[in-house]
Amino acid sequence: MSAPLLSVTNLSTSFFTSRGEVQAVRGVSFELRAGEILGIVGESGSGKSITCMSIMGLLRSSGRVIDGTALFEGRDLITLDEDELSALRGNDISMIFQDPMTSLNPTLTVGEQVIETILRHRKVSRAEARARAIELFELVRIPSAAKRLRSYPHEFSGGMRQRVMIAIALACDPKLLIADEPTTALDVTIQRQILALLKELQGRLGMAVILITHDLGVIAETADRVLVMYGGMVMEEGPVRELFARPSHPYTRGLLASIPDLRDDTHHRLTPIPGSPPDMLRPPKGCPFAPRCPHAMAQCNAALPPLYDAGEGHRARCWLHHPEAPRVAGITAELVTA
Amino acid sequence: MTAYVVQRMLLMLVTLFAIITLTFFLMHAVPGGPFTSEKILQPEIQAALNAKYHLDDPLWLQYLTYLKGVLSFDLGPSFKYAGMSVNQIIAEGLPVTMKTGALALICVVALGVPLGIVAALNRNRWPDTLVMVIATIGVAVPSYVIATVALYVFALRLGWVPTFGLDDWRGYFLPVFALSGFWISFIARLARSSLLETLQQDYMMTARAKGLRRGTVLFKHGLRNSLIPVVTVLGPVVANLLTGSFVIEQIFALPGIGRHFVLSITNRDYTAIMGITIFYAAVLMVMIFIVDMLYLVLDPRIKYRADAK
Repeated sequence: MSAPLLSVTNLSTSFFTSRGEVQAVRGVSFELRAGEILGIVGESGSGKSITCMSIMGLLRSSGRVIDGTALFEGRDLITLDEDELSALRGNDISMIFQDPMTSLNPTLTVGEQVIETILRHRKVSRAEARARAIELFELVRIPSAAKRLRSYPHEFSGGMRQRVMIAIALACDPKLLIADEPTTALDVTIQRQILALLKELQGRLGMAVILITHDLGVIAETADRVLVMYGGMVMEEGPVRELFARPSHPYTRGLLASIPDLRDDTHHRLTPIPGSPPDMLRPPKGCPFAPRCPHAMAQCNAALPPLYDAGEGHRARCWLHHPEAPRVAGITAELVTA
Repeated sequence: MTAYVVQRMLLMLVTLFAIITLTFFLMHAVPGGPFTSEKILQPEIQAALNAKYHLDDPLWLQYLTYLKGVLSFDLGPSFKYAGMSVNQIIAEGLPVTMKTGALALICVVALGVPLGIVAALNRNRWPDTLVMVIATIGVAVPSYVIATVALYVFALRLGWVPTFGLDDWRGYFLPVFALSGFWISFIARLARSSLLETLQQDYMMTARAKGLRRGTVLFKHGLRNSLIPVVTVLGPVVANLLTGSFVIEQIFALPGIGRHFVLSITNRDYTAIMGITIFYAAVLMVMIFIVDMLYLVLDPRIKYRADAK
């Protein structure tokens, strides 16, 4: 097996605020192979965006990576200085953001915003960069590409702006694209178009993608593998089919149960997960999900469970997978204990 | 666009007309007149003066006569300075005021904006604290205090600069410093908060995520957007600086028009009050117009259209 493109080990990031240390990411590890789509799912504050911002070196000033490594093609991104990182960003690793309405500079033409990225990373003339920008606009299917280069962001719809963002991200043929909730701010119909476009481009260009979302539906449609995050930690990870077929963490099960099923015509209520996410200023000593977990035991509050291996790359951080734990239908029955 | 500019020009004329009318009648509504003083004049002399300056005409006639004069750019004779027209008063004082004002303006832009940037980029570290402490003092301490203290220290004690007048080039230092101190501080604070806000914008994150160099991110993406509020304020600041300051001109004995502004009122020098008010209003309106046009350059989202009627 080839070496992974990105290998994150024990990544921990904290924000140092006036109220104390907010432990946003706590020991996250994962691997990503070239051409793979990894979905990271979790609710707001679960640490999914901060994980990626840490890798990109784009944390706001109060945030700091306090531990861990992120090897990208053998180089540890965490230890690179700003010059080295900025040469990688937009070039080998690029990123698109949640809100296309605010992510583009309102005072520059969209063409300029694409062209400046190309000129930063490639030794080409302005005319060549422009030609490449037109090519990119055609690639992301912005109609009358050459003409639209001269438009300003406010002259585009939300979906079109996200296409511009994608064009910028793809400008230098990145090996890794990080998409942070790329469809959350868009209309449902536009969401599907953008996702389909991303998936198609990923297939054509062969880049790896990290797709951050809180929408399991998006993951099911797009990703190869999933990371479920909660309280700054990986709770469960595995191949998409496997994880959806056999969710092995009560939190994942809760997430799946809270999705409305439109084919279901018996009008029963959605099943929410009770309670609220942990306070990361004082994260619990044990499992962060324990206070909301229907199966919580004394052990769950006492100590943090390890990631139990379920085979085929499927792992879950839950004490229920301990050999001596009580059996819970739907969670432990199928799982091969570590 | 052309239609819009024409519309704006017409509106400026209407505004100017309203200002002239209001000032004229308000001024005449105040008791007393240019020739009222402690020393009571002989009734004949009083009548002769009134007749000479048409003050015995009915008010509406005086108003119309004055308007006619303004239309031909004649602001009338000064009531207080015999033999001087208001046009002459402005023409004499303006070069002095404009020179100090323009120098002050250069200081405001060249110091205020960079200081604000330095403060914003070093937020909550010592350069920020230093700039903000100085800027707060600059905004809080009145210009006449700054002027007198500076005069005492640099002119009297150290003797580096003359105490009054502009015959020596060094004479410009203190008046320009006193004139610009407040606005440098004001602009520095504004530029700082505006840049801090811009730095938080999503597109700044995008610019960094694209791998752009720090300088490009800051100057190309940050500065232009954060300068929009600064430009908004600069319009009135220019008008303010170019029309002079009574206090500063008084303290440094500068023959500018700023002091006529105040003196004409206490003198009830009707034509001077009117003339200088019209002059100030015109400069202010032109500056605001220029700022509105600058927005077009700075922010492509802004488009002007003449109101369809």
